[in-house]
Amino acid sequence: MSYGTDSDSDKEFIAQAMPAFISEAAEQIEAIETLLLELEEQPDNRDLLDSLFRCAHTVKGSAGIFGLNRVVEFTHHVETLLDKMRDGDIALKPDISTLLLQCNDQIKFLVDTAADESADTPEQKDTRADLVIQLRAHTEGPEPAVVGSAAPTAALGATGATVATGPCVWSISARFGMETFRNGMDPLSIARYLSGMGRVVSVRSGVDTVPALVNLNPESCYLSFAMELETAATREDIEGAFSFVLDDCQFDVVAPETQDRKLARAIEEMPETPRLGAMLVSVGAVSQDKLDQVLSTQQQTRGMPSVGKPKLGDLLEAQAGVAPEVVAAAVAKQQKLRDNAPSEERYIRVQADRLDAVINLLGELVIAGAGATLLARATHHVSLIEANLQMNGLIEEIRNGTLGLRMVPVGETFSRFRRVVRDTASSLGKEVNFEIVGGDAELDKSMVEKIADPLMHLVRNSLDHGLETPQERLAAGKSRAGHLTLSARHETGAILIRIDDDGRGINRERVLQRAWNRGLVEQGVVPSDNDINMLIFEPGFSTAEQVTNLSGRGVGMDVVRRNIEALRGSIRLNSHPGVGLQVDIRLPLTLAIIDGFLVGVGASKFVLPLESVVEVIEAADQHTLVDASGRHVLELRGAILPVVRLRTLYTIESSPPDRVSVVVVNSPRGKFGIEVDVLLGQHQTVVKPLGSLFKSLRGISGSSILGSGEVALILDVESLGALVTAEQQSAASRAELPLGTPVVQQVKAIASV
Amino acid sequence: MRAPFDLPADLRIYSAIDTRDALLAWVAEEASAGHDYLQISARDVEEVDGSGLQLLAALSNMETPWHLVETSEPFAQACRHMGFAYWLDKRYLKTQAGDSAS
Repeated sequence: MSYGTDSDSDKEFIAQAMPAFISEAAEQIEAIETLLLELEEQPDNRDLLDSLFRCAHTVKGSAGIFGLNRVVEFTHHVETLLDKMRDGDIALKPDISTLLLQCNDQIKFLVDTAADESADTPEQKDTRADLVIQLRAHTEGPEPAVVGSAAPTAALGATGATVATGPCVWSISARFGMETFRNGMDPLSIARYLSGMGRVVSVRSGVDTVPALVNLNPESCYLSFAMELETAATREDIEGAFSFVLDDCQFDVVAPETQDRKLARAIEEMPETPRLGAMLVSVGAVSQDKLDQVLSTQQQTRGMPSVGKPKLGDLLEAQAGVAPEVVAAAVAKQQKLRDNAPSEERYIRVQADRLDAVINLLGELVIAGAGATLLARATHHVSLIEANLQMNGLIEEIRNGTLGLRMVPVGETFSRFRRVVRDTASSLGKEVNFEIVGGDAELDKSMVEKIADPLMHLVRNSLDHGLETPQERLAAGKSRAGHLTLSARHETGAILIRIDDDGRGINRERVLQRAWNRGLVEQGVVPSDNDINMLIFEPGFSTAEQVTNLSGRGVGMDVVRRNIEALRGSIRLNSHPGVGLQVDIRLPLTLAIIDGFLVGVGASKFVLPLESVVEVIEAADQHTLVDASGRHVLELRGAILPVVRLRTLYTIESSPPDRVSVVVVNSPRGKFGIEVDVLLGQHQTVVKPLGSLFKSLRGISGSSILGSGEVALILDVESLGALVTAEQQSAASRAELPLGTPVVQQVKAIASV
Repeated sequence: MRAPFDLPADLRIYSAIDTRDALLAWVAEEASAGHDYLQISARDVEEVDGSGLQLLAALSNMETPWHLVETSEPFAQACRHMGFAYWLDKRYLKTQAGDSAS
């Protein structure tokens, strides 16, 4: 149904608007998938079905505007099936759900390749044709009322057409393409044909689209019309009138609206209407007199227990003849008001690049602000210092607000996995109850995008290797269906994403055997349980035996870990053989700017994430003790606190002061202390990535430029915690750099370049 | 009395270019004569299609307004089907077909 246009401005507009269409269509397609999966669980939820239909209709309508015929034609078939479902003719069964999900994949393909017709290979066309056949089998096959020759529509020339239950008024609009006449077609014939189908309530042609006579090429067609047609014919009959002009006409056939549906819609569109009766009176569903009568009947039941007391809606249906659909709409409206449902949220669409540019500038502003603060302090001018403080406060507010713009709920990404879980479990013959928890936890959008693939791999891995088949589960005394939970929650300046299954867990014996065989672990050496678990992330661990078409899609577990670590994140496994596996992924909330706590050791500066700081204590340098395993420790309120010495860890060449400070921090491995020379206070920290040379540097997650131009290193509390709680803090745990080269000096050199 | 423009018996795509040219020439004459509206007669029209109706729709987008003063039944039917029934204005029409137009 393409509509030809020779207007350059139209083409320019379409070219400009196409990316926005593709982006919005992608959102609708994602919503269709989510809604379908939700509808599988709640097949009677009318709202879900309506939303599903609206999404498909929106994709089709928008695609029509852009002349994307393949999308329009295919989505039309999908829409027809959904319409039948809305009419109650077809119920959502698993086979239909699967079909609709496959159709949605096809719509996604068509939208993604909108600008490239060559991508539509013969295989894709065959797939699409097959889907259409399946859709039509559902929409046309079981129809109970097939019209024979004596049916009303037979006289209109429609063959084998189905009829609606009675005449109703359809809105038909058509705009013909310029080639219509030249292709031997005539809009007048189509209008005539339509009028033969029933009673034309109104028809109007526009002259605005027709050029003035002096500019008119009479062989080009510029006609359009809008018709209200009262007919018993079906949508298929009406659309059949356009079957010979599909390539030359943009048309729309809008389903008739029954009187009851009109009333229900009027109620839905009401802004604020508090009482059921008043709502129904205001839309004319019932007269005030009749309502009064019904209310009086209800009054007589006062004193009855609420259980047996008739509801006003029931009485209105029974005594005033108000249609159940109308009452239901009014009750739904009331419920919505009661729930204090938020009014429609307003959004504006902003290009991510523009937002990134603002955030980059903001980073520079934070650094410049810190520099200005230092200069202001040096002047000892109180008013200047105060003005500077005020400015920094505002910068902080702008920072928080701006970074917040990039935060999106992780649930949007999580919900994509419903389909993966469904299809994967189905192909493996497994049964899975999949649960998403904490989907509203927010994370930087760029992080969400980058974490999606590793998560997908881990979820597939749990399904493929973790969860057992129903038979295996029953034999192991477990429920037939496995449980897989994907959860997210905020935890001290980071987000913790957890994939939890109740499958077989990691078989450590097999993992260790494979590691020995592959030379990843020296033959006969048995590492700790945790280290054995983590071997699955070693490059080269995956074997052909493990790689299936599900989890082994060319991305090994080593790549998963590398991707997570590239985001300054970490991954931990908690496996209980026979009981299940918990995969914890910890990610920083943002990659841009954090609230930090600046400390100094010698001439070097370090930043700790402020959220991790619990308290600061002062200690004489000699007060830290060394325990039996060689760790420095401190006694704090009767408990032993491990302490990491940055001076020792990073070979910082300076004399320790007489008294040092110990910053007590919280890490997932527990509390520990970090011994520093000086405390320099809170500091807005613009995170700069470390160069590749320093990627392996343990305990450091990034660097930052201070207002003075100095470089500070950002400490990674979790990996420092791992160092400090290790049994032996050996030289091997230090930075993997050339011996004798102080680490901090090297980082400074790189960052300054 | 002014003579209206007589639309041809065949008001279809086959004669559309000729009809447009004739109509344009006549419109120019009428304009030079200072007439502030145009009169069109469809009395002779026996066959009509969308392109014929489109000529009059295009005439509507010229500066000078026009009225239909006579019509044939085929032309009137075509106007009704296509949504141009408002051209069949009884105030200007002299024929029976116009009386049946609403």
